[in-house]
Amino acid sequence: MAESIELEVKGLDFYYAGNIHALKKINLSVSKNSVTALIGPSGCGKTTLLRCFNRMHDLYPKNRYEGEILFHGRDILSKETDLINLRSRIGMVFQKPTPFPMSIFDNIAYGLKLNGVNRRSDLAERVEKALVHAALWDEVKDKLGASAYDLSGGQQQRLVIARALAVNPEVLLFDEPTSALDPISTAKIEELATSLKKEITIVIVTHNMQQAARISDRTGFLMLGELIEFDRTDKIFTAPSEKLTEDYVTGRFG
Amino acid sequence: MTREQKRKIEGSVALFLSTMAAFFGLFWLVFILGDVLIHGIKALNPSLFMNDPVPPGAEGGGLRNAFVGQLLITLCATLIGVPIGVLGGTFLAEYARGRKIARLISVLADIMVSVPSIVIGTFIYALLVRPFGHFSGWAGAAALAIIMIPVVLRTTEDMLSLVPWTLREAAFALGAPYYKVITQVVYRGAATGILTGILLSIARVAGETAPLLFTSFNNSFFSVDMKQPIASLTVTIFQYAMGPYDSWHEQAWAASFVITLFILLLTITGRLIIRLRYK
Amino acid sequence: MARTAKKNPVDMSFSFITAVASFSVIVFIIGILYVLISESSLAIGKFGVIKFVTSTDWDPVKESFGALTNIYGTVVTTIFSLIISIPVAIGIAIFVTEISPNFLKGPIGVAIELLAAIPSIIYGMWGLFTLSPIMSNHVEPFLKKIFGSVPLIGILFQGTPMGIDILTASVILSIMIIPFTASISRDSFDLTPAVVKESAYAIGATKWEVVKNVVIPYSKLGVFGGVVLSLGRAIGETMAVAFVLGNNHRITTSLLDAAATITVTLANEFAEADKDIYLSALFYLALVLFVMSFITLAMAKFFLIRAERKYSR
Repeated sequence: MAESIELEVKGLDFYYAGNIHALKKINLSVSKNSVTALIGPSGCGKTTLLRCFNRMHDLYPKNRYEGEILFHGRDILSKETDLINLRSRIGMVFQKPTPFPMSIFDNIAYGLKLNGVNRRSDLAERVEKALVHAALWDEVKDKLGASAYDLSGGQQQRLVIARALAVNPEVLLFDEPTSALDPISTAKIEELATSLKKEITIVIVTHNMQQAARISDRTGFLMLGELIEFDRTDKIFTAPSEKLTEDYVTGRFG
Repeated sequence: MTREQKRKIEGSVALFLSTMAAFFGLFWLVFILGDVLIHGIKALNPSLFMNDPVPPGAEGGGLRNAFVGQLLITLCATLIGVPIGVLGGTFLAEYARGRKIARLISVLADIMVSVPSIVIGTFIYALLVRPFGHFSGWAGAAALAIIMIPVVLRTTEDMLSLVPWTLREAAFALGAPYYKVITQVVYRGAATGILTGILLSIARVAGETAPLLFTSFNNSFFSVDMKQPIASLTVTIFQYAMGPYDSWHEQAWAASFVITLFILLLTITGRLIIRLRYK
Repeated sequence: MARTAKKNPVDMSFSFITAVASFSVIVFIIGILYVLISESSLAIGKFGVIKFVTSTDWDPVKESFGALTNIYGTVVTTIFSLIISIPVAIGIAIFVTEISPNFLKGPIGVAIELLAAIPSIIYGMWGLFTLSPIMSNHVEPFLKKIFGSVPLIGILFQGTPMGIDILTASVILSIMIIPFTASISRDSFDLTPAVVKESAYAIGATKWEVVKNVVIPYSKLGVFGGVVLSLGRAIGETMAVAFVLGNNHRITTSLLDAAATITVTLANEFAEADKDIYLSALFYLALVLFVMSFITLAMAKFFLIRAERKYSR
């Protein structure tokens, strides 16, 4: 199957303020309509890498990128990149659910309004679509006006995914999206991720190797800021070519 | 114009206005301090500290009586207020730690901190001025002490709470009774913080005027008798500034300069200590 | 909580002394209430409650006293000072938390604290000698020219600009309370979790949209508490307004007229009240002020505690 490339990382170095070298010469490509997992021990740089894709690091002073990340052939690390536009095309879901202090409906409508959807009927339609998409609609359709804080943790996380989906992003970044959730909610979100890849590209950071094995097509293993190995998921977990990868996936450290 | 451009322009305008607000706030600080500085320094001279007031129009008068009176009142208020405040804070943070009564007193003290100081003046007037038939330095000191107590009490409580519980456990483990743990270990651990709280509370009351208006009142003669009306800088500033003479206005500016300088130095010292010690 | 098994007598006396010291706060509050009520009983008996707070009569010669002009002055100066100070204070808080480069955050924070530490008498004197002439010569004629003939708003700007009036007093009060509102708002803004802000950025919100739609809604309880606290302070402020408000016991609709607040009346008249009923009426005023500010401050505290609980969840 010929795969087209969604995101291509070329020789990426990243420095946190104070010149901490967090990512070293990373090269990898993310295929369209696939799930790519990033694994590795804590502090290995997997979340740092993920946050490069939507330039989250720019929120804090003195962080520095070197190298390129091509998104449909354009370098998103260049100075001309419009961050607002980039972030509406590459969505992100965080470790802990991050509903905004508004109602369930408004949480999802918020991103839509930012993107120019203002008609009440359009909003209602798109909100419903997003909630159906995130498999949350049946649980919340009767209380759309309730505060988002009233939902359970798992529901909140799916709400946040719905919010990200509502603006039709091309890529969705997941930063350990299930680490704060119970097993049932985790299963629901994993199911969701697999079904979503029909339409969008997913990059997920996880500390849970079974999760990576279950849902991803490709897996990258990072350690101390370096990408040790990047390959098809089944290969990484059954026949890795690097000793370090093997040690990690078999649980010898980390 | 695209939607995104519109949003960005709206954002830039809003952020620009916030920045202007910040500089607007700073502008007042510079304006007020600069004004007090310029007028104050011009009117500053040795006789201000060495001489007592002379009738308007005569040369060479000063405010020695007010400086001394202010120091006396503040000192007495500190001597009354600090022990009560520190001990009260000790109860909240130690013996009553976590109990409802501690929470209640803590909240009430926070409210007391902001209760209009002029009301405290009327309270002391009824208690300590009218029964004796005359204003007195002690009444002024008592009014300031009442303002001071909740301030010291709350900072003491906060500072003691910052001392790690394990430190107390270590002292208990040596067989020390609680009062020894508090006075010999906990106080030592929180000493800088409590001291800072005291400094800031002195800064707070040193500039008070309203509670002195009808407690210590004023006295245009030199006096160190706390049982009699006594002059204070702040009440003198009020009287002189509202008065009709230019020489009075100048002295009011000079007195304002001295008191502002004193209070800001105390405040900055206090803040610096907190920053160095706790951040 | 620590409990020693066998009570040490020194320990018991020490704990008793500390308890007495801390209960002094309660004693003061009840004491103030008791003393103010008993001192004003003469006036309460003569004027009642409703009549006292609704009468505009303040006439020491005829011995007829009503508090409405004073309450009106207090409420009006407080409202106008809030109108001026809230936008500025929130702007400062936004600047410090979201816009300012890191190296400026500290100094601006210190500057705000210094502004809060300047004694109110300095504000008052500065208001009398510096601000009042500026207001009467420049600001007030300008406002009068622009708004004076506008229907409704024009009512606020009638009369001769003298600089000793409600507007000047409100401006000084607002400068005084800006630091309180600003520092509490800043602290509340800072409590918004970074990850919630990030997730708004992550769907393409601009900085201002994050502030407007996430930070402010998230911290509104704390900010509101801060505003109410400032309101409590403004109600009780004496010296900053005593210089520039005049002492006018009339209800006036123009901001360019002199007025009297409860605090200003107390400051000007308390020491020279020569008759029992006059003094009693002044104590009554102090009681009204104490109750007003205590309720406001308690409300502020209530909101701030709720905000604190919400954030620490």
